[in-house]
Amino acid sequence: MRDRGATYLLLAPAALIFGTLFILPLAYFLVISFWRVVLFKLKPDLTIANYLQVFELHLPTLLFTLGLALVIAVVTTCLGFVYAYLIRFKAGRLGPVLLFVALITLFGGYLMKIYSWMTILGITGVLNTALKALGLISEPLPWLFYNVGAVVVTLVNFLLPLAILPIYASMRGITDIEMEAARDLGAGGWRRFSDIVVPRSNTGIMAAFALCFLLAAGDYLTPQLVGGKVNMIGVQIAPQFGGLGNWPLGSAMSFVTLGSSLAVILLSIVLLLQWRPR
Amino acid sequence: MNRPSNIVWGGIGVLFAVFLLSPLALVVLFAFTSRPQSAFPIEALSLRWWEAMWVNPNFVPALWNSLMISGTVGLICAIVGTMAALGLAQLDERRARLAAAVLCLPLMLPPLVLGVALLSFYSRARIPMGPQTVIMSHLLFALPFVVLVVYARLRNFDFRVVESARDLGASPVRAFFTVTLPIIRPTVVGAALIAMALSLDDFVITFFTISKGMTLPTFVFAMIRTTVTPAANAVGTLILVMTIGATLIALWLTRYRG
Repeated sequence: MRDRGATYLLLAPAALIFGTLFILPLAYFLVISFWRVVLFKLKPDLTIANYLQVFELHLPTLLFTLGLALVIAVVTTCLGFVYAYLIRFKAGRLGPVLLFVALITLFGGYLMKIYSWMTILGITGVLNTALKALGLISEPLPWLFYNVGAVVVTLVNFLLPLAILPIYASMRGITDIEMEAARDLGAGGWRRFSDIVVPRSNTGIMAAFALCFLLAAGDYLTPQLVGGKVNMIGVQIAPQFGGLGNWPLGSAMSFVTLGSSLAVILLSIVLLLQWRPR
Repeated sequence: MNRPSNIVWGGIGVLFAVFLLSPLALVVLFAFTSRPQSAFPIEALSLRWWEAMWVNPNFVPALWNSLMISGTVGLICAIVGTMAALGLAQLDERRARLAAAVLCLPLMLPPLVLGVALLSFYSRARIPMGPQTVIMSHLLFALPFVVLVVYARLRNFDFRVVESARDLGASPVRAFFTVTLPIIRPTVVGAALIAMALSLDDFVITFFTISKGMTLPTFVFAMIRTTVTPAANAVGTLILVMTIGATLIALWLTRYRG
C-alpha cells in the first residue's frame, strides 16, 4: 500500500548515523582489544593478553564495581518503584506535580549533581553545618564524604529519575477497572499489589534496573569526585585513554565490564521473573 | 483511603521531592553567596561569582561552543529524527518498535565506554577532533529521543488529511510541508529542545571527543578540579537554567501529560 522505497529513504539518515557512529566505532573498539601497544602506537594483532591482564590486575576492582552497581541499581529501582506507585495510585491530583519533578531532574545536571553532593557531604558541607547548627554534633563528621556511601547516595540521586520514568510508563498501563475488578472479587491490598501491580510493571522494572546497573558500573566521575579512594573499574578505564595511553587494555576492560554487567543483569531479570506471588 | 495512610504517602512524596530537587536547588543558591565557599551560612546575597565567571577568559568561548554544538545537534536531530519517525510510522507497529529499540541502544551504554570508543574511532578515521566530533557524538544519544517523541505524536496522527492533500494533487514533499509539518511542528520543536538540553548537559562524551577547547560542562569540571569557588555554581546555574528551561518549553509544546 505504501511506497517501501520512500520508507527506507526516510530512515536512511538515522540508519547512517547509527551505523557510522555506533556500530562502526564499537566494532573497531572491540577489534583493538585484541591489539597491542608498541612504542605508544597501536599494533594490529590477535592476542588475548589484554583480557588476561584485566583479570590479573583488575579483577578485585571489577568485582567490587559489579557489587556496588548491584546495590545502587537495586536501591534505585526500589525507590523508583515506590515513587512511580505513589504517582500512579496514591498522589491523586498531585501525581502530575511529582511526575514533573522527576522529568525536570532527568534532563540536566549530571556534573552539577555530583558537584552539589560535594558541597552537601564535605567537611564544611551543608549537612555538617546543619547538624552543627542544630547542636547535634560538635565536630564535623568526616565519614560523610570520600567513601562508598557518598558514591551510592550521589549515584542513586542521579539515576532515580531514569528509574522512575520507565516504571511509571508501564504502571500507566494498569487500569483502575482492573484494580476495582480485583477488589470486587475479594482481592486484598497485598493481593492486588502482588498479582497485578508488580507483574504488570515488570518491563519497566527490568528496563530501570538494567539502565541503572549499566550506568553505575560504567561511571568514573562520581567515585573520583565524592568517593575519595573508592576504586571503580571506570576510574581505571579512563586514564588508559589519557595519560597511560594503553587503548587495547582500556578496550578489553570496557568489554569485560559490559559483558559481566550484562550477565548480572540477565541473572537478576531471571530471578525477578521467578516472582510468583501467593 | 484512610487518613493515616494518606499522611504517610504525603510524607514519602515530600521526602522524594526534597531528595531529587535539593542538590539542584543548592547549586543555584550558592551561586549567589557573598562568601568564597559554597557553604552555609550565606551572609549576604551577591553577584560577585557571576562577575568572576564572566571575566574568566575561558567562559565566553565555552558558552559559544556549548550554544553552537547544542544548536547544531538540535537542528540535525529535528530533521533526521522527524524523517525517521515518518519512516517508522509507515512500518507496521511491531517492526517500528523493534527499530526504535535498536536506535535506543546507545543510551544503554555507559557514556564512558561510548566516549572512549568514539575517541579511538575518530583517531583511527583521522577525523580531526573538536566541536565537530562532539556534535557527531551527541547526535547518537539525542536522536533516539527525537525519534521516539515525534513517532509517538505520529501514532495518533490522522493521516487522512495527508491523503486528502495527495488526492488533490500535492506531491508527497509538498503534502508534508503544507499539511503534516504544520500540525506536528510543536512536537518537533519540543523534541529538538530536549535534544539540545541533552547535548548541553553532556560532560563525559564531550570530554573525550573535544580534544581541545571547552564547553560549559567541561569548563565547570576544570573549575571544580582546581580551586572550588562559587563561580562553579554560577556556571552550573547557567547550565541548569538552559537545560531545564529548554525542557520546560519542550514539555509545554508537546503537552506532555506523563
